[in-house]
Amino acid sequence: MDPVSVIAAFQDGLKELKLIDNSRKFSLVVVLLAVLATNFGIGRVAADDQVRYRLKWLINMSTVGDVYAEQHGFFKEEGLRVMMKEGGPERDAIRELEMGHTDFGVASADQVIHAAAKGSPVVVIAQLFQANPLQWIYFQNRSDINSLSDLKGKAIGVTFGKNDEIIMRTLLAQAGLNENQVRLISVRLDYTPFYTKQADLWPVYINTQAVEIGRKLRDAGEKVAFLDPADHGVRFVANSIVTSARMLDEQPQLVRRFLRALLKGWAAAIDQANAEKAVAAVQKYDRNTAKALMYDQLHATRRLVTSETGEAIGHMDSAAWEQTEHIMLTHGQIEKKVNVLERLKKVDGMVTQRQP
Amino acid sequence: MLLRRIYQFLLIYALGVSFLIVLKYALGLSDYVIPSLTVLWNTSHEVLGAYSIDVISTLFVAIIGQFLSILLALLVGISGRKATWFGSFIKVAAYNVQAYPIVAIAPIIFILLGDGFLSRLLIAAMICYFPMLLAVVGIMSEPVPDIELFYRQTQRMRWQLEVKIRAFENLSKLTTVIVGSATLAMAGTIVAEFIAASEGIGYSIRIALYQSDLAKIVVALFMIGITLSVYQGVLEGVGQIVKRTWTR
Repeated sequence: MDPVSVIAAFQDGLKELKLIDNSRKFSLVVVLLAVLATNFGIGRVAADDQVRYRLKWLINMSTVGDVYAEQHGFFKEEGLRVMMKEGGPERDAIRELEMGHTDFGVASADQVIHAAAKGSPVVVIAQLFQANPLQWIYFQNRSDINSLSDLKGKAIGVTFGKNDEIIMRTLLAQAGLNENQVRLISVRLDYTPFYTKQADLWPVYINTQAVEIGRKLRDAGEKVAFLDPADHGVRFVANSIVTSARMLDEQPQLVRRFLRALLKGWAAAIDQANAEKAVAAVQKYDRNTAKALMYDQLHATRRLVTSETGEAIGHMDSAAWEQTEHIMLTHGQIEKKVNVLERLKKVDGMVTQRQP
Repeated sequence: MLLRRIYQFLLIYALGVSFLIVLKYALGLSDYVIPSLTVLWNTSHEVLGAYSIDVISTLFVAIIGQFLSILLALLVGISGRKATWFGSFIKVAAYNVQAYPIVAIAPIIFILLGDGFLSRLLIAAMICYFPMLLAVVGIMSEPVPDIELFYRQTQRMRWQLEVKIRAFENLSKLTTVIVGSATLAMAGTIVAEFIAASEGIGYSIRIALYQSDLAKIVVALFMIGITLSVYQGVLEGVGQIVKRTWTR
């Protein structure tokens, strides 16, 4: 009920008082005061805490845990009302945190490190993906990539300025290849250069685009494979939960409640037993992806969220964060070390969500 | 004229940057959200050379795109100036083409033509063509009775003469529209580069956005603004020369 309607209700109540006896007058006043107190936040209880949460991208399978937590009342159980906002290339959760437009967000490690290098008070409270979803798709009958040196002479799609460029340059450096020995092609909106085989390798997210494109190409009789940077020791950290240092200092309970609900959502979403509910949760927003594909996407997402070492959901992989910083430093993305490990904050008293 | 354009731009740019700096210190924002003057200065040293080449590449495409759109607008405007069936058809077709937002058509253009020069040119031309067309159709459909009557009565009126009379009588209006459309041509080219091309200042802005580097974007805006001011100043100068030559 909005304040205007509460006042109107109160005025109606006062008119009513003239017509009824004293004992009922008292009860009515108590009820009206209770309504007012609730609506104007007097004695507000934790159940009404509202937080804003900026995702990294549009809602798809990469956000399954987030939407699962929302739709299955996990935030509500923690007394939170979460306003989930979709992301996009022009959205930057870290910038919004500083401007006060959001309370929590999803950002990749390179964004966190860039921001830290420029003095942003951002902190990381969980790492959602234990493996980076970014890989390169290629036609097996055209390219046989068994080692990084097989990249020599290949036309490779990269999004200049984004983390796939840095990852590919790191892979090339590892293979001892320089830029003249490969052809880097600027990635744009569509996959035409890859489909028409102008490009040999094209970057995709293994849990979303790769599932869809892979299926299309296999249906068309093509054999495709993927180049995973992690197989070659490059572990560039992807989606993580960020908030401001101030929020963590001033409202640690709120942070704890939010994170507890969110990680519970992720644990439930990737549990095989909840597959149908998880797909339904995403499907509510993502109406363009076929349901059958979504199950495959969920399967691929499950492998990103869980770690081989059996760490809890949201575990922050310090070694991978350090490597990400080192790579960015090597490629001139930052001028000096930012000691990113100092930005990783374990939230006290968290009951960790074990892998299902 | 040229100097006035440059002064005006510098003033607006300085005001814009000052606003950002005031906001930065008033809200205590880091350099990640709004870069400090030192960061801006260092970034400009770092990227000015590369951005100058980018902005010249963009301007080159914008000029050709604008030229094409002027030609097309004149063609459609002259063909559609008569209140005939064909004139109406040309006008309706020309208006309908513009009804589609360019960002919706752009992906089709990029798929068909790739992300090279032609796509950027076509999008630039499409964005600045419509206001040009409106102005040209307006001017060409409006008779100049005092002068045209004489030629009609002496049976010496030809369509070329009619176009010439109407263009001459509205030369100031035409010059203003052409100068204004330069901004649109530049904006169109930048939009095309931002969406999918792999060169030009729009492409550099996209990369800066991916890197969350506002300093680079502020420097790019400076380059775009100063280049556009010079180009518009030159166009205004050319308009004055044409007018002087015609009235001689």
